[in-house]
Amino acid sequence: MSPFSRRAFTVGAPASLLTACTGHGSGAPRPAATARPVPAKRARPLARSVPVRLLIPAIGVDTPVIRLGLAADGTVQVPPVTAHDRAGWYRHSPTPGARGPSVILGHVTVGPYGDGVFRRLARLHRGDRIVARLENGTAAEFAVTAVRTVPKTDFPADDVYGNVDRPELRLITCGGARTGDGYADNVIVFAALSGTKSPTSGER
Amino acid sequence: MRRTVLSVLALAGTAVLMGTGPAFADGPATPSPVPSDAAPSTRPAESAEPTRTPEPARKTPSAEPTRAPADGQVSVRPSGAPDTGVAATGASGTGGTAIGAGAAAVLALGGGTVFVVRRRRATGA
Repeated sequence: MSPFSRRAFTVGAPASLLTACTGHGSGAPRPAATARPVPAKRARPLARSVPVRLLIPAIGVDTPVIRLGLAADGTVQVPPVTAHDRAGWYRHSPTPGARGPSVILGHVTVGPYGDGVFRRLARLHRGDRIVARLENGTAAEFAVTAVRTVPKTDFPADDVYGNVDRPELRLITCGGARTGDGYADNVIVFAALSGTKSPTSGER
Repeated sequence: MRRTVLSVLALAGTAVLMGTGPAFADGPATPSPVPSDAAPSTRPAESAEPTRTPEPARKTPSAEPTRAPADGQVSVRPSGAPDTGVAATGASGTGGTAIGAGAAAVLALGGGTVFVVRRRRATGA
């Protein structure tokens, strides 16, 4: 019994160690696997419909969405500085859920009125949920893929406005150090469509 | 008489020839320009070929769907970076700091006074 069991032990122990190691090895890509679902969930693009409301539960955002165009100097318009700050959708970009980068802007602060609607945008993390309710009653659900803070002098226009082959969302606000009455940086949240919801009762 | 008859016959012959002459002349000359000029002008205008001309016209709208995906992207790229933050005026910021410092000073003074009063009472008793 003893020599045989010793042999069995000497064979079995390394084997169990090996399986444990391979098990641990398979666990290593788990972070990548958890990271994968965000871009991997490819929902079907939605039909064009203007956004009317934006919800970001992780940072308590629930705001109407207005339409924005271009300013006279060629820069993108921003929502008006008011006490009731709102987000604005850049109307020369795709509507949320349609193929391409849909761009929504909001203030981080609105001067004398205090915090803007995107005050805590930089606190978002990869995987956080963003919901854009559309005029036709559907809701486009996005998952955050990246949050970047970039100097305004080096604004990544290609990354923000460049063509993409799937429905994506860009949320833009200001951040970083104050420069006079403004800010030195832009905070940009990149998100990809993760799902859609048909019109629900009792909701706008 | 014979002369007049002959001359009349000759005139008649020339008249017939003159009549047929233009007919021959129109045959080779005008028909060739007329079909070449008239047919193209009538074909696009009214004939059966107008049904062909709409077809190429339909092909151009069919090319527009290829533009539609491009419309799905950002059609007009803004210049510069968005100015999405109007900071509160610096005065109000320093004002807030001053208010905070004042409140802290008042608290410290009050706490100190209470401490001193208690100590005096304790020593007095």
